[in-house]
Amino acid sequence: MHLTQELELFPDHRVTQMLFKEVKNAAGLRQSAVEGKINGALINPTMLVNPFQVLVAANKAVHLQKSGKMKTRSLYSEIIFNLSPNNNISEAFKRFGISDGDDSVMVVVVHNKDESELLADITAKVEGRQIPVEDVSSLSDSAKIKKLYKITPQEEKCGTLLDAVVCRMATKDVM
Amino acid sequence: MAQEKNMAVPQLLSNVELVKQGAEARVYRTEFLGKPTIVKERFPKRYRHPVLDQKLTHRRTVQEVRSILRCRRAGISAPVVYFVDYMSHCIFLEEVVGSLTVCDHIASTQQSESCQDQELEWLAQRVGQILAKMHDEDVIHGDLTTSNMLLRRGPEDPESNLVLIDFGLSYISALPEDKGVDLYVLEKAFLSTHPNTEALFEKLLKSYTASSKKSSAVIKKLDEVRLRGRKRSMVG
Repeated sequence: MHLTQELELFPDHRVTQMLFKEVKNAAGLRQSAVEGKINGALINPTMLVNPFQVLVAANKAVHLQKSGKMKTRSLYSEIIFNLSPNNNISEAFKRFGISDGDDSVMVVVVHNKDESELLADITAKVEGRQIPVEDVSSLSDSAKIKKLYKITPQEEKCGTLLDAVVCRMATKDVM
Repeated sequence: MAQEKNMAVPQLLSNVELVKQGAEARVYRTEFLGKPTIVKERFPKRYRHPVLDQKLTHRRTVQEVRSILRCRRAGISAPVVYFVDYMSHCIFLEEVVGSLTVCDHIASTQQSESCQDQELEWLAQRVGQILAKMHDEDVIHGDLTTSNMLLRRGPEDPESNLVLIDFGLSYISALPEDKGVDLYVLEKAFLSTHPNTEALFEKLLKSYTASSKKSSAVIKKLDEVRLRGRKRSMVG
């Protein structure tokens, strides 16, 4: 159900994504994330095209953490910030983090080799139904994504929506 | 926190396949987040003053990703940027899988002899159209050669089949002069790598002229540049 990918650049780090639907305690989850009680990033899946998008954000976050160049306070907030096409931190949280009324959530955890305990802890906290991470595309709101990332119809001719989104995330610091 | 040097990227590159080494950068092939990826590393040049080297390398890395994004936004196919490390000056790019350079394609078509003219004319037209589009966006590629154009084979529409690569020398400029030089560089490279293609290059320029809104000034400049060479006379 969950999806784990090793970061080639940081061989002792892995990224696991878990997707939940019909979530009833979004407000509570958000609160515990703000307080640092949840070891993971809580992302609004309607803004996600594909799990690869999250991997790109997570890889960049770990990279910036290792270089001491993070723009936000923690690794998990940095992941959310990296998803955003611009450099406004509070807007990034608003658009890509979860809001109190949300009924779906993508949880992203960065960990070492053994993750089972961490994952069990997350599943215990989320009151919702876990679905395969690959299904995130069925939850995404492509109209909203295109608008926020300012993706032109011409650009979609030379690649997928995912390509366009990833390109903007990877290059936003020099635009 | 002390800023220790993050050696993750150099460490990865020491274990992956080196595809090509040029004067400016090294190109590697690897897998990144599970996808086939090309890494372009601008290594330090010891012959330059370290401060100047750092500045130039940084600027070129930034320029390259900017131009790629600008082209993609305009609907010109260029590799997707996955990740950029501004400390080791590495760009992680999508590997255009199953592609062939335009250079190899022309060479093999010229050898096969069967109905080559039409096929190559079509290609020259496409190249002309894409370069026109790129120049209309004020992107100057800086190193146009047939090896820096890839043909992606796939079921997609022909629009997306030509991919421009290596924006390492690119910059943004609206000057007809810069666009003229860009075409001149291509002409030189084209005619010297592919013998007896004058007529074909003519076709390319014709389609460029027809597709670009600002082509007349550029072609006029191209004629000027042909007479004097790439470098402008700075006397006077």
